[in-house]
Amino acid sequence: MPRTLLVIDDDRDIRQVAKTSLELVGGFQVLVADSGQRGLAIAREARPDAIILDLMMPDLDGRKTLAQLKQTPETAPIPVIMLTAKVQANRQELVGQGAVGVLVKPFDPMQLPDQVCEILGWGSSGKDKNRSDAAEE
Amino acid sequence: MNERTGARSQTISKVMIMVMIGRIRLWIIAASVVSLAALSAVSWLSYRNTKELIAANQRLAQAHKLIEDLAALHVLLDDAESSCRDYALSGRTESLKPYEASLAQLDTTMQVLRRDLAADPNRSRQLQELEPVIKARLEAMKELVQARTTSGLEAAVRVLQSDRGKRLTDEIRHGISIVQTEERNDLLSRERESRERARSTILAVGVTCLLGIVLLLTASLVIVRLNRQSERDHEALQNAEGIQRTILNSAAYSMISTDKAGLILTVNAATERWLQYRGAELAGSSILRLHDAAELQSRGVQLTRAMGMPVGGDYQALVTKAGYGVADDLECTYVRKDGTRFPVSLSVTALRTGGNDLAGYLMIATDLSEQRAIEKMKDEFVSIVSHELRTPLTSIKGALGLLVGGVTGPLPPKAGEMAQIALSNSDRLSRLVDDILDLQRIESGRITMDKRLCDVAALMKESSESVRLVAEGEGVTIEVSPCAGSINADQERIVQALVNLLGNAIKFSPRGDRIEFAAERTDRSVMFRVEDNGRGIPKDKLETIFERFQQVDASDAREKGGTGLGLAIVRSIVQQHNGRVWAESELSRGSKFYIQLPLESDSMTTE
Repeated sequence: MPRTLLVIDDDRDIRQVAKTSLELVGGFQVLVADSGQRGLAIAREARPDAIILDLMMPDLDGRKTLAQLKQTPETAPIPVIMLTAKVQANRQELVGQGAVGVLVKPFDPMQLPDQVCEILGWGSSGKDKNRSDAAEE
Repeated sequence: MNERTGARSQTISKVMIMVMIGRIRLWIIAASVVSLAALSAVSWLSYRNTKELIAANQRLAQAHKLIEDLAALHVLLDDAESSCRDYALSGRTESLKPYEASLAQLDTTMQVLRRDLAADPNRSRQLQELEPVIKARLEAMKELVQARTTSGLEAAVRVLQSDRGKRLTDEIRHGISIVQTEERNDLLSRERESRERARSTILAVGVTCLLGIVLLLTASLVIVRLNRQSERDHEALQNAEGIQRTILNSAAYSMISTDKAGLILTVNAATERWLQYRGAELAGSSILRLHDAAELQSRGVQLTRAMGMPVGGDYQALVTKAGYGVADDLECTYVRKDGTRFPVSLSVTALRTGGNDLAGYLMIATDLSEQRAIEKMKDEFVSIVSHELRTPLTSIKGALGLLVGGVTGPLPPKAGEMAQIALSNSDRLSRLVDDILDLQRIESGRITMDKRLCDVAALMKESSESVRLVAEGEGVTIEVSPCAGSINADQERIVQALVNLLGNAIKFSPRGDRIEFAAERTDRSVMFRVEDNGRGIPKDKLETIFERFQQVDASDAREKGGTGLGLAIVRSIVQQHNGRVWAESELSRGSKFYIQLPLESDSMTTE
């Protein structure tokens, strides 16, 4: 079973590009959510291996979503990577709030799966190894 | 209206009036001294004249008395003589009574004459000459009387007929008359003298009075004129002050003057408006009341380090530089009466008197609230725009990347080429957005330089490492020659600046060429140099290339993939470190870019 990633972003096209990249280049199984609320619900139900979370979203933004993910027992252990425009975020600050890393927009879709694996310490992307025994609890 | 300023200008006008009064006083004193001198001279003259007049009058009286006494002497002698004669002829003893009475008086009269004439040697001599004659005459009378008494009428007649008596009498009469005549002449001349003296005294007194009147009139005239002048001056002064006050109070600057110890002397209307205090409330209180204590504290620390001498974190932090004659423009916070704050650009100037003594300080502040608000808006606008641009860019770049990467299946060759063009331009667009945002944030000071002590060699290694792949791709080698030393800098930003210069050098170097990346240490700075052997930069563009979107060649953006903002960002970063960046070049020989940064500097950010 390939690892499952949840991408939460309010922009449909970005979701689509990220999903395509992560699925076709990275070989992951990708779930998507178009808002923080929906993302929280999916995360609780599907328990993905990691979450890629957009910072700037209407209503429940990335920071608040991150906080709720970390406060909810079921989702708290899931590593979260923030997706953000380059200079808007302070990496340190986001890591302090519980994120494991930060991905910068615009990203290179050919590099994205490797960047995700590097941040999560997964060694290589899911397509090559496709191991299901790592990192989940 | 500003009370404090009013009070101040009143004080100034008071001083001016005092000066004018002083000038009037000087005039009056001078005039008084002159008139007093003239008056005393004339008065002394009259006094002397009057005194001499009195003396002359006394002498006149004496002369009159002398003449009278001499006449009396004459009469006495005549009386005695006629009495003797009567007796000689009649033989009646009662006829001798006037003679005896005269004899009795004669002694006294002579004594009086002798005493009165004692002071005058000439008259004394004349009297002495006369005295034996008088004595002889009296002897003759005595003989006549004895002859009559003892020898009878005939003997007496004989004596009478001897004529001796008549001779003596004539002699006496002559003597007395000489003295009297001389005395009378004397008297006349003295009287003339007296009259003249009296006339001159009257003249002197008249002149004195006239002089007094003239002086009095002159003094009054002078006083009136000076008064009028002082009124005019006062009015002019008040007008000038009014204009000055209007200028001060209309100015869109807060102006505060303090004394040497930082106690407020005057404030203008803008200060009152902005800070919500009345001038009278501020006068005499410390300038610190209007400042943020923590801000001054940290500025004191900064100045202590920068100036190499202890600078207190109080008003010293505001005035020390100005006190040394260094123009001090700083940005700081003013605290209103209600505790709210607003940012100001503050310029502090030392106030010096004519003698170059420090009298206090002038603090002119501009309200930066609006400017800051605009900056914030601009910043937010740029952020939003860049986010809005970045979102579609992410999709475009991502989709194109997937297409070109062949993830979605192979593309026909022509389509692949087109997709590649679209992808590289979307890359360029995304770099442009990054650079615009970067530049905006650095220039607005929204990004605080995170300054730490950085090793020069490490900075250079990191910079050259990050362009190594690109350089290898272009077949360009980078020769790094670092120097020892540390600078106080934001490592990430300085690396960004150096990478920008290296990137440019790589872009403009022919394949197989070599770039020199060196650092040299001078006394107080480190100078980085990036040197290529590329096409070079025309002289007229050496300055402008650091402006935004100013590339040497308009086609560079497309061909070299630059955004036209790289050097502008380099300059902003370097300026934020109190450094300097410049270029030297020779066409078709290559370019040298320099970045000079203060060594272990205390380079302060404006933030």
